[in-house]
Amino acid sequence: MNIRFIFTFAWYYGVKIFSRGPSYVIASLTTPLSLLFIVYVLTQGKLVEFAVVGGMISLIGSIGLQSAGDATFMKLQLRVQEMYVASAVTPIDYMLALTMSFLTFSIPGIVVYTVLGTIFGLYNTVTALSMVFLIVMLTLSTSAIAFIISGLVKHVRNVWGIVGILSIIMTVIPPTFYPYTDLQNFSTSLIYILFISPVTPAAISAQIIFGLEPWNMAILTYSLLTLVAETVIYFAIAKYLIRWREN
Amino acid sequence: MIEIKNIMKKYGNGPIAVNDVTETMSKRVTTLIGRNGAGKTTLLRMLSTQLMPTSGTAVINGHDIIKEPHKVRNSIVSIPQEASPIGILTPYEQVRMYLIGRRFSLSDASLAARQALETVGLESSMHSPSDTLSGGMKRKMFVAIALASNAEIVFLDEPTTGLDPLSRLEVWSAIKKLDGNILLTTHYMEEAENLSDEVFLQDAGKIIESGTVKKLLKRFSGKIRVESQSPLDGSTMLGGMHILYDIVENAEKHVKNGANVKKITLDDLFIMRGVDLEY
Ligand SMILES: Nc1ncnc2c1ncn2[C@@H]1O[C@H](COP(=O)(O)OP(=O)(O)OP(=O)(O)O)[C@@H](O)[C@H]1O
Ligand SMILES: [Mg+2]
Repeated sequence: MNIRFIFTFAWYYGVKIFSRGPSYVIASLTTPLSLLFIVYVLTQGKLVEFAVVGGMISLIGSIGLQSAGDATFMKLQLRVQEMYVASAVTPIDYMLALTMSFLTFSIPGIVVYTVLGTIFGLYNTVTALSMVFLIVMLTLSTSAIAFIISGLVKHVRNVWGIVGILSIIMTVIPPTFYPYTDLQNFSTSLIYILFISPVTPAAISAQIIFGLEPWNMAILTYSLLTLVAETVIYFAIAKYLIRWREN
Repeated sequence: MIEIKNIMKKYGNGPIAVNDVTETMSKRVTTLIGRNGAGKTTLLRMLSTQLMPTSGTAVINGHDIIKEPHKVRNSIVSIPQEASPIGILTPYEQVRMYLIGRRFSLSDASLAARQALETVGLESSMHSPSDTLSGGMKRKMFVAIALASNAEIVFLDEPTTGLDPLSRLEVWSAIKKLDGNILLTTHYMEEAENLSDEVFLQDAGKIIESGTVKKLLKRFSGKIRVESQSPLDGSTMLGGMHILYDIVENAEKHVKNGANVKKITLDDLFIMRGVDLEY
């Protein structure tokens, strides 16, 4: 693994780009923040803690998925990926480099939600460390999904639509802004379907770890294991589908 | 050294873009010429491990492109025909980032990036966002990537398209200074003549001729090309002109009659194919 490349890439493609054009990052904050506002108004503040924790999860997930747009653009339009194919850079190096850049795009959002979480008194050592773990896993797994999309899409234009749809299905519908037990009461089979999105196990774990929902070791273990397994599986599929050498 | 063995590419249900090519390219600068759609890019992309051949293979400095892509990749650099810079980043940042991907140390990458960008004449714009560069300047950034890489084999797909005459000369001299073997494509025959140790002419996926420029033009020795608005005795209509290959001795006569007389260049390899020519 070429760590130096991964960090240089993230420095230029993440930090530098953010400092030169922050609108993209600020735009990605708008959906979770407006949902937070709606949840606050509709539940008269009752579920606001869910939205503060879930907003972070949703934001990380949607930035990860949106990176499909970048990955596809770099591949089909700029032909940057092709140049890296014919070099010592491996698909894993390239994917991690882009993923690290996307993680830097998430930093402003992470700051906003950390401040909100602190105001609501949600953070202690355990919840903070858990959140870091969830953010890392979610970034890896949703970027992997993004690379899968970029590997399958044939025209840059199609990617924006796909990302828009997936972003809603995978980050807003899962129990990010409401208690997962409500979903359980509503439909158990829907939960299983929503588990396709790594956001679902991440959100459920967070709700349990942050004490928003009653402690349930079985569901927590199941969620965490699923999140780790999905990250590995999505990365493996992405490594294959990114089409390092085109057919 | 590139040894191509029966390489073939058919895109899905599309055309056969490269058709059973077997060639050895061992000279320092090899140029691939051919009309639009002849399959030059397809061949280059297969050789630089970006595109899987439908059948056949190639061996690059002893390594098979299909079985040992990693070893091949360590020794090559490939600049795609249609590459564009990441607009928000500067040329310096992009060249440097690429070199670090090639496992240059941070300081070597900085030095090599700066030197290469100076060589291609981007000293004053290497720190401006690439969006603000002209088309030719963007192209030069990619040439700088090839220069700085210091690879054993350099693939350049139309490196000088869109460059002004002076910039083209600068890029030529930079290419001449490269250490590795170079395989480039071009539509500028002057470039092929100036740079190549060997030229390959590709047509409809096949390599139909190869050799030094001198060898390829041998058949035209003692001839000139005559272009006229009106038909000449034995001329053929091509591209809106009447074209005739004639012996040098008749040049003056044609000029008197108002025709244009041209010295033979690699262009004629293409032109003569549209002209029913006995030689
Ligand atoms: N990705 C692709 N999918 C399908 N067909 C393709 C693809 N790329 C190229 N082709 C076809 O393969 C043939 C060769 O194209 P190629 O790009 O290799 O030509 P070229 O010699 O590089 O042309 P030019 O001088 O215009 O760059 C053409 O008929 C083209 O339409
Ligand atoms: Mg081409």
